[in-house]
Amino acid sequence: MAKKWVGTSIKRKEDASMLTGEATYVDDMQLPGMLHCAILRSDYAHANIKSIDVSEARKLPGVIDIITGEDVKEYPLAAAVEFAHFDLKSPVKQAYLLAVDRALYAGQPIAAVAAVDKYIAEDALDLIQVHYEPLTPVVSMEQALSEDAPLIYEEWGDNVQMQVPSKAGDVDAAFAEADRVIKVKIGEHRYCAFPLEGRAAIADYKPRTGKLHTWISSQASSAPRANFAKTLKIPEQNVSVTVPHVGGAFGTKLNWSVETIPCLLSKRTGRPVKYVENKIETFTIGPHARDYVFNGEVACKNDGTILGVKADVMFDLGIESSYRGTAIAKCVILLKTFLGQYKIKNYSFLSRAIVTNKAFQCSYRAFGKEQGSRFIERIMNIVARELGISPEEIRLKNYIQPEEFPYRTTSGALYDSGDYPGTLKRVLEMADIPSLRKEQARLEEEGRYLMGIGIASFVQPSGSAVPDGYLNGMEGATLKLLPEGGFILSTAHCTLGQGIETTLSQVVADEFTVTPEDVRVIIGDSDKAPYSSGGFASRGAAWVVGAAVTVSRKLKEKVLRFGAHVLKVEADEVELKDGKIQVKRDPAKSVSLHELATSVHFWPGAIGVLPDEFLYTDPSLDATAYWTAPNPPVSWAAPINLYCTHPNGAEVSTILIDKETGKITVPKRFVVYDCGTLINPDIVKHQYIGGALQGINGILNEELCYDENGQLTTTTYMDYLIPGSHEMLGETVFEHQETPSPFTPLGCKGMGEAGTFCSVSSVMNAVEDALGITITKTPLKPQTVLDYVKEAMEKGTLNRRREW
Amino acid sequence: MKKTITMTVNGQIMKAEVEPRTLLIDCLRDQLGLSGAKVGCVVGKCGACTIILNGLTVKSCMMFAVQADGAEIMTIEGLAGDGELHPMQQAFTDKSAVQCGFCTSGMVLTATQLAKDHPNASEEEIKDAIGGHICRCTGYVAIVDAIKEGCKRMSEQQG
Ligand code: FES
Ligand code: FES
Repeated sequence: MAKKWVGTSIKRKEDASMLTGEATYVDDMQLPGMLHCAILRSDYAHANIKSIDVSEARKLPGVIDIITGEDVKEYPLAAAVEFAHFDLKSPVKQAYLLAVDRALYAGQPIAAVAAVDKYIAEDALDLIQVHYEPLTPVVSMEQALSEDAPLIYEEWGDNVQMQVPSKAGDVDAAFAEADRVIKVKIGEHRYCAFPLEGRAAIADYKPRTGKLHTWISSQASSAPRANFAKTLKIPEQNVSVTVPHVGGAFGTKLNWSVETIPCLLSKRTGRPVKYVENKIETFTIGPHARDYVFNGEVACKNDGTILGVKADVMFDLGIESSYRGTAIAKCVILLKTFLGQYKIKNYSFLSRAIVTNKAFQCSYRAFGKEQGSRFIERIMNIVARELGISPEEIRLKNYIQPEEFPYRTTSGALYDSGDYPGTLKRVLEMADIPSLRKEQARLEEEGRYLMGIGIASFVQPSGSAVPDGYLNGMEGATLKLLPEGGFILSTAHCTLGQGIETTLSQVVADEFTVTPEDVRVIIGDSDKAPYSSGGFASRGAAWVVGAAVTVSRKLKEKVLRFGAHVLKVEADEVELKDGKIQVKRDPAKSVSLHELATSVHFWPGAIGVLPDEFLYTDPSLDATAYWTAPNPPVSWAAPINLYCTHPNGAEVSTILIDKETGKITVPKRFVVYDCGTLINPDIVKHQYIGGALQGINGILNEELCYDENGQLTTTTYMDYLIPGSHEMLGETVFEHQETPSPFTPLGCKGMGEAGTFCSVSSVMNAVEDALGITITKTPLKPQTVLDYVKEAMEKGTLNRRREW
Repeated sequence: MKKTITMTVNGQIMKAEVEPRTLLIDCLRDQLGLSGAKVGCVVGKCGACTIILNGLTVKSCMMFAVQADGAEIMTIEGLAGDGELHPMQQAFTDKSAVQCGFCTSGMVLTATQLAKDHPNASEEEIKDAIGGHICRCTGYVAIVDAIKEGCKRMSEQQG
């Protein structure tokens, strides 16, 4: 197939609607008779709820319904993560929409009001009286693991939701054989995405028919349908989920427990109910992300060969994470993905998910794999520094080589393709390290700024095919050729800002030799399209494009058969060109898609448009098809592969530390990124750049702080520094590489999460390059940075000789 | 106690019945059906609710609707001409400055206002101008580029 549109940076089709206010997001919708929901949140991190008195609130004119823990007992939440075939069952027996009897974190929903407008709903919250009996909260992992820690889930006997060991090769032998064993401790604080549009849901339950229609801001439409159905005890076929435009998600819109609250209120009142969270709720209810610590040891040879790794990683989950977020799965994903681009044969790992009285966790660009990547990338630099070799050399020594693909890592991941040494060499060439070093020396001389140069590289597991539960891999699409020759592609995938209306129409256009304008893409409707797992784990370019290509080819086969029949030749004698079916040896003999489509729809039989074998079986110009990854995993215990594609890249980041203020800026970055076949290079580049700011600002400026009482003290944009234009990164010199994946139909690899992987590693490595010491504490806010500068001065590491 | 207010919105005279505490953003979106301005934070920090009121960019979550009685308002719905994007809107799409679109209407309105006041705005001035807006998707690089381009196109258009 000739590529005409795939690979071209055409302008996005969705932009005009967003630029003019025409694009519809959940909160833009209004239904007749709609009520508004407001949620009362727990004041305490840990408390028994002795009583809730809603009598005054009920009397407020305009209040229609109020629910508390008592009312939700008959609707236990359906688990978001069910790994029934694997030994990862959540030990939590039951969880509910609202706190029942005990509040487990400050901000946890404990009651909800439905009223005729949102102002009255908020007023009613003030009239609800809750009698709490405060309990000691667990506010850190150390405390959670201590002997006398209060138990958040008493039946467990401890505060560990999950503990997964993982091993490969012979670690003891590797450590015995090593020239050096180097200890590393790295971690990250708690922060998250907080997209500009927060949670939003409208639920419309029709009591006579028992049908529930919901409009939600979500990354999936098919999965929440089952979720709502199970929790609310409505047959799934009577639940519809529509996801209109979504104002950003980044992994945080994959848990639907809070969205179920307006659904229940609608079911009880028989009226539509809207819930749009305010920003304090965004911060306090959660989900949150990161907040983990690695303690590792690396066995290596003096030449930089890594022989083995031992590590212990602990995640601070907040409250349990199988009904609300999906974060327990991160512990496993990390184990399967932390090897990065390196041939490390021996490791032993223990991954533990600890519960505390904080908001729950979910994914945030990405899902544990970014943590694994940062761990291994930091290790490479720390070990290189200890051994006195360059960070480039240590990587080249341990990389998987281009001729070794497809490559099975010791943890079971199956890497599709890439040229890791080539990517790294190219980015170093672009960055021109010697001239950066000169600049660094000049600034050092001047005295005010310390410059750092950091390199890092990464493999980005994408397009998840996590077995069992709703992360399972299955993606469908329906394609119709309309009587006037245009196409409609329907997918239940969701549009979160990735530009998929554009990229999918580019893909279909090439398959049919038409233009993207000839293809309309319908997105996010669980009723109108076949099952879609959803838009997470960078699935789009692998799974949804996979489905779009598969369905196009299925329909194309029919179209060619019909066309050949009209042209009175055999199907293998015709081809598609410029929107026409033409006879290969005599292109003058042709029928356009438009003509064919019109005839098939209006004169299928009488004048013989359709071959007989189709006329009475499948006279349509519709097709539905599914795509699934060719390498499904089988069990957690075996070395399994969780992702179907593995893009890779490398970066050089430069940073400046202002010695007076401690502020870090990032003046220039160089990026080479390879996500296989490119559909729309500009879209890839800009998503990458946006993700990089999320990653870097996250590590520098953002922090969710809980005090010793378990109160979140960062609850607005005033005290949580979401990056603004003044936090913008400096110039990014960006280059694409294209090593197609053998595992997807067009060779594309999923890329949505890419920006946060290597940006953090390269910036952290740059800070260490500037200071010559190992950084263990984040975020790198000015005061922390000043402390590190002082430490470096005391240790005399600032003006050391650098190895490259 | 409701109060009737009258505003000229995108060139049309409109009336609304509002409570004294109704925010202007809610009046525009929920009563007048102009949902292009978005509710991001309701505390004046994100710029998603930006409109142009009596010639100035205003965060409409920071005003009560009654304060806009008699005002002349332009929302994003009023910017594009018939069938054609405004040069600033066009620059945003040409420079890949739109992802999820939630910040977009506010950004574009602030940008058009900047272009009128400072047609040759420098990068620093552009960053300052959008300092009160949050975009969580783009990293701002493309937005700053787009505003530069949009300023250029707008001043060319005025000749
Ligand atoms: S909604 Fe008005 S500034 Fe955020
Ligand atoms: S494009 Fe998503 S917030 Fe700006």
